[in-house]
Amino acid sequence: MKSVRRDILIGLVCLALAIALPIAMPGRYVITQSTLFFIWAIVVVQWNLVLGISGIFSLAQMALFATGAYATAMLGFYWKVPMLAAIPTAGVITVAVGMLIGLACLRLRGPYVALLTLAIAQVMYVLIVNDTDCFTTVGGCMPLFGGVRGIGQFGDIGLRALFPSKWYVAHYYVGLALLAVAVTISIVVIRGPLGLAFRALRDNPGYAMSRGISRFKYQLWIFAVSAFFTGIAGGFYAIHFRVVGPTVFSFSTLLFLIAMIVIGGLGSIWGPLLGAAVLMLADEGMRELSDYRNIGLGLLLAVFVIAWPNGLNGLNGWLQRSRASRD
Amino acid sequence: MTGDAAATPLLSCRHVGKSFGALAAVRDLSFDVGAGEILGIGGPNGAGKTTLFEVISGLNPATKGAIVLDGQDITRHAPEQICHAGVARTFQLNAGFDSMTARENVLVGAYFGRSNRAVPTLRAGRAAHEAADAALEMLGIGDRADKVTGKLPVLDRKLLMMASAMATKPKLLLMDEPVGGLTAREVDRVMDAVRAIKAAGVTIILIEHVMRFLVRLSDRMMIMHHGEKIFEGLPTKLLDDRTVVDVYLGQGASDRLRSFMENTHG
Ligand SMILES: Nc1ncnc2c1ncn2[C@@H]1O[C@H](COP(=O)(O)OP(=O)(O)O)[C@@H](O)[C@H]1O
Ligand SMILES: [Mg+2]
Repeated sequence: MKSVRRDILIGLVCLALAIALPIAMPGRYVITQSTLFFIWAIVVVQWNLVLGISGIFSLAQMALFATGAYATAMLGFYWKVPMLAAIPTAGVITVAVGMLIGLACLRLRGPYVALLTLAIAQVMYVLIVNDTDCFTTVGGCMPLFGGVRGIGQFGDIGLRALFPSKWYVAHYYVGLALLAVAVTISIVVIRGPLGLAFRALRDNPGYAMSRGISRFKYQLWIFAVSAFFTGIAGGFYAIHFRVVGPTVFSFSTLLFLIAMIVIGGLGSIWGPLLGAAVLMLADEGMRELSDYRNIGLGLLLAVFVIAWPNGLNGLNGWLQRSRASRD
Repeated sequence: MTGDAAATPLLSCRHVGKSFGALAAVRDLSFDVGAGEILGIGGPNGAGKTTLFEVISGLNPATKGAIVLDGQDITRHAPEQICHAGVARTFQLNAGFDSMTARENVLVGAYFGRSNRAVPTLRAGRAAHEAADAALEMLGIGDRADKVTGKLPVLDRKLLMMASAMATKPKLLLMDEPVGGLTAREVDRVMDAVRAIKAAGVTIILIEHVMRFLVRLSDRMMIMHHGEKIFEGLPTKLLDDRTVVDVYLGQGASDRLRSFMENTHG
């Protein structure tokens, strides 16, 4: 019970600070960068359920994010679905794709899961980029998935029309609200029976099965639960940037997000959020270095994997322990 | 409670076989276990005892024969279904969910082990928590509930495996070498635990190398060798069996065991 109360307290403090930020720092750059932070934080928090809580080395999360973004854009572009309906639908489509990937990984272990999921993402990327046949010629030649240029003009959730000069502040609050819900759900999952099943399968699959946990069923649950908000985040990304292109599959984004989880603390509740914040700030600092940015990121990741495998969250526990042993 | 295995067998193994490629680890094995009894299984290393548990618990299904629990054929069931049907198991090596607390370990059994959860609830609920705490208390490790499993000493880990098995409310408990590597004092602790589990109405199959432990607890015994049954009967008849003395115990150990049994039973 104590840890639940701690989670609620941390969550409320962070939420209050985030609500106040646009008032304290009204600059447009800070606010749009923070909105991007919310999007990545949603993905990272859901990915942590697979990677950290369940110990499944899936690299498919960005492909799922892309699924959500592309599904939103295509629903709007081809079928004129209003965005407020398209985004949740994209979430459901992402869940279906996530469950298929979970099914494909069922018999695989450790590094093979990483290889397969990376291959799936790569295949999706290549299919989109190499497709140059015109699917429609309305408004110029356009491949089914938009090709290299991507898909645009699929609609909006209406906040740009409602607040013409301050729409980015409105998007900031939408992103914040989505993140708050995503984090709440992840905490409920981690602290509840689903999280118990995921952690049991991670620690000792054979023992978990002989205590009544179906590996098949809960692997599908893992992928389904973590896919939904990843897809929603993809949809929000789509309407926020008004265009969805193959850049969402980029390896540097994947590395960036993995680094957030590892540096924050794999499998902890608040670690990935902390990691996302730290890396967004570090990235800001390295912006001037352009080409060296990925090298800096890689080095940072290597240092943490070797020296502090439990991340910043683990560092906190280590500090507490060393303080306790000194007393 | 003893000796009526033939009347109402809780578990019935019929011509069960398990082969790993060319190696037949269990061969044409048939036996019954009556409700409420303790069947002790002994035999040299590599005799196929653990493999028999793998087969019954479904983690490594049989390649031949049938296993019937309470009238229900469970031979081809998945491990979680066999758990839900009422078979729990403890492992020869100290299995556990090492990163979880002892309480969470037992909660897994209490929440997932009793019946199939079509859709899991958002919270484990009071009933599962109470069942978990009761199981920890029953095995005398209630004060260890908030400790991380991976850091518990050997005896506590073994008791924890039993507690999480009991939390699934089993009809049949399979225990694989529960006292391996324990001191004499600790062996007594486990012996009390096994008696308490039996008193709670659970049928037990017990694999053990420590014969003094096995003969004192078992209502009936079975000795395996090369995947086959070479003896089945009362513990008191064990030492009269030439094959058992020759291929398993040896003359010296048999004599020591005989005097031990005469002292404790007489
Ligand atoms: N998964 C497996 N694959 C191949 N051989 C196995 C496997 N498990 C057990 N065996 C073999 O089966 C035989 C019986 O082993 P086991 O059941 O562990 O014996 P016991 O528990 O009686 O000491 C041994 O020869 C062992 O090497
Ligand atoms: Mg064995």
